[in-house]
Amino acid sequence: MSLLELKNITKRYGNLKALDNVNLKVEQGEWVAIMGPSGSGKSTLMNIIGCMDKPTEGEVLLDGADIAKVSDKELTAIRRDKIGLVFQQFHLVNYLTALENVMVSQYYHSIPDEEEALMALERVGLKDRAKHLPSQLSGGEQQRVCIARALINHPEIILADEPTGNLDEANENIVLDIFRQLHKEGATLVVVTHDPEVGEIAERLIILEHGVIKSETKSSAADDAVIK
Amino acid sequence: MFFRMIKGAFTRQWKKMLMIALTIALGASLATAMLNVMMDVGDKVNQELKTYGANINVVPKTSSVVDNLYEVEEGEDANTAYLLESELGNIKTIFWAFNIVDFAPFISTSAELSSGEEVKINGTWFNHHMDLPTGESLDTGIQNLRTWWDVTDGSWLNEQQAGSENSVMVGSVLAERAGIKAGDTINVNAGGKDYSLTVAGIYSSGDDADEQIYGIMDMVQEMADKDGYLSNIEVSAITTPDNELVIKAAKDPGSLTISQYETWYCTAYVSSICYQIQEVITDSVASPVRQVADSEGAILEKTELLMLLITVLSLVGSALGITNLVTASVMERSNEIGLLKAVGARDSAISGLVLTEIVITGIFGAVIGYFAGFGFAQIIGHTVFGSAIEMKPFVIPIVAVLVVIVTLAGSIPAIRMLLRLRPAEVLHGR
Ligand SMILES: Nc1ncnc2c1ncn2[C@@H]1O[C@H](COP(=O)(O)OP(=O)(O)OP(=O)(O)O)[C@@H](O)[C@H]1O
Ligand SMILES: [Mg+2]
Repeated sequence: MSLLELKNITKRYGNLKALDNVNLKVEQGEWVAIMGPSGSGKSTLMNIIGCMDKPTEGEVLLDGADIAKVSDKELTAIRRDKIGLVFQQFHLVNYLTALENVMVSQYYHSIPDEEEALMALERVGLKDRAKHLPSQLSGGEQQRVCIARALINHPEIILADEPTGNLDEANENIVLDIFRQLHKEGATLVVVTHDPEVGEIAERLIILEHGVIKSETKSSAADDAVIK
Repeated sequence: MFFRMIKGAFTRQWKKMLMIALTIALGASLATAMLNVMMDVGDKVNQELKTYGANINVVPKTSSVVDNLYEVEEGEDANTAYLLESELGNIKTIFWAFNIVDFAPFISTSAELSSGEEVKINGTWFNHHMDLPTGESLDTGIQNLRTWWDVTDGSWLNEQQAGSENSVMVGSVLAERAGIKAGDTINVNAGGKDYSLTVAGIYSSGDDADEQIYGIMDMVQEMADKDGYLSNIEVSAITTPDNELVIKAAKDPGSLTISQYETWYCTAYVSSICYQIQEVITDSVASPVRQVADSEGAILEKTELLMLLITVLSLVGSALGITNLVTASVMERSNEIGLLKAVGARDSAISGLVLTEIVITGIFGAVIGYFAGFGFAQIIGHTVFGSAIEMKPFVIPIVAVLVVIVTLAGSIPAIRMLLRLRPAEVLHGR
């Protein structure tokens, strides 16, 4: 059974079909990239996978359970337990330190554990910045805090919507290295991007256009990258 | 973690929180001031209204009939009845003794000035000190009852001063006509005897009294040859506004059932106080000076209603202010709230967080407001009633409850907005 399976997903906003009969399977440990022009429905798709929105039609099976049919409250619980989110704009709480931002995720999941949160920061190379506020961190560092926060509760699937959209090349590489590392450790990654370079290193590249999956290509670049 | 988040929110949003606190403080201060003034105003308004005269006039039984029917001039009728001076202290022994604020006895006679003019001279208490049968003592007299007297020359007659036995106060109209000034000595003849009187002060009363002379009790009793007797007593009492029970009792206290009688007797109605005075003063008729007694109660009720209205309006106003501020604050933080929802915070957890912040702010505002309200109350007390307002401790819990209700009610729209907020809509910066 696939970790995630979308069956005939359609999302309508009024007359507009943001997603039109999309079918998609994501296996455990897979790294999937989604690309497409602006307005093609990438974020809409991510919101549905990330349990932040429901499709107008179709089934979303996560671990075999249909999340299109559960209540908002259950959806929150599934999101908390199974999804890790990385945002283009980082969305750190600006009055909390890097460490506290990671701990917020723990707090709403179970109980905050400073030790574990520090370890997560260490993984993204930010242990020495734990006490800094977001405003005292560079964009790349903020994105790494955001990734640490996404990882902290060991989600089954990590969703990143344009994680490198606001970063320069050096920081982009740092973030991609972290993704490679996560992939090597067996994490499931779904990354939306505009950047062909980011798209190509994934195992599978899906192109969306006008809410429809236009093409799907497998690549071995990801494995190569890890080996390198 | 919760506290770190609360602390963080305060350090970052302190300006907004301060605005919310001040809005709450404004409402709380007005509520505190108005409630305290309202609680205290009963006494204050009564003290104010005493200005307009005594509540109760006590006269001898027969004279009450005769006087009222024929308006007989004092001294003309040899049969005029008198009250006993020795019973005066009994007034402070009745059930409602504590509601008796002041009282003064009166006797009058006529005297002849050296110019040959006939004037009415009244004996009374000015600032009389008396020891009560209960062992307590009391200072009372017309200095408290005739608050509207304007002493235009000299000063109030002080009974405690040596030489006051022959002092008098002269009405302004008479004084002007006869050329009398404070400090003068005037010679009068009363009851066939000559008296040499020192004028302590000239007063202006705005009524008949301006043509008369007031001296101390003993002297006028001697002039009238009525030692130990009084013609009437004026009593100023704090009373409860009348109701149906009073109307029934007024017709005949005997018509009441035992429990009604008890309620009536044990309530500070004008009529029950009158009734009790009659019980302790032999052959007396105590009657309320109706209009004054009634209007006191009515004005008191209206004043309290007004204050209640101000309290309610100020609280509604601050609830609206809070609504605006809290909604703006939640709107400004929609990204943060969306993120918390995205990482799995339940609606209740986020509402709890925001409400805790608001309640802490509210408590802060309420404390400021209470003390500001204390100040307001004193300002109102001094400007309106000319005295301090006593702060009632039980206003504190009332204000606390009101602040909580207002703060929470004011936060409802913001919380609803917070609940409706969908993380997908704020996080992918469309
Ligand atoms: N809440 C909404 N209400 C109405 N229309 C919406 C809503 N959300 C998305 N859309 C529309 O759905 C379409 C897909 O939007 P989506 O955000 O998924 O695009 P995208 O592929 O993420 O674009 P971008 O690359 O610019 O982020 C767009 O035409 C958008 O205008
Ligand atoms: Mg998008």
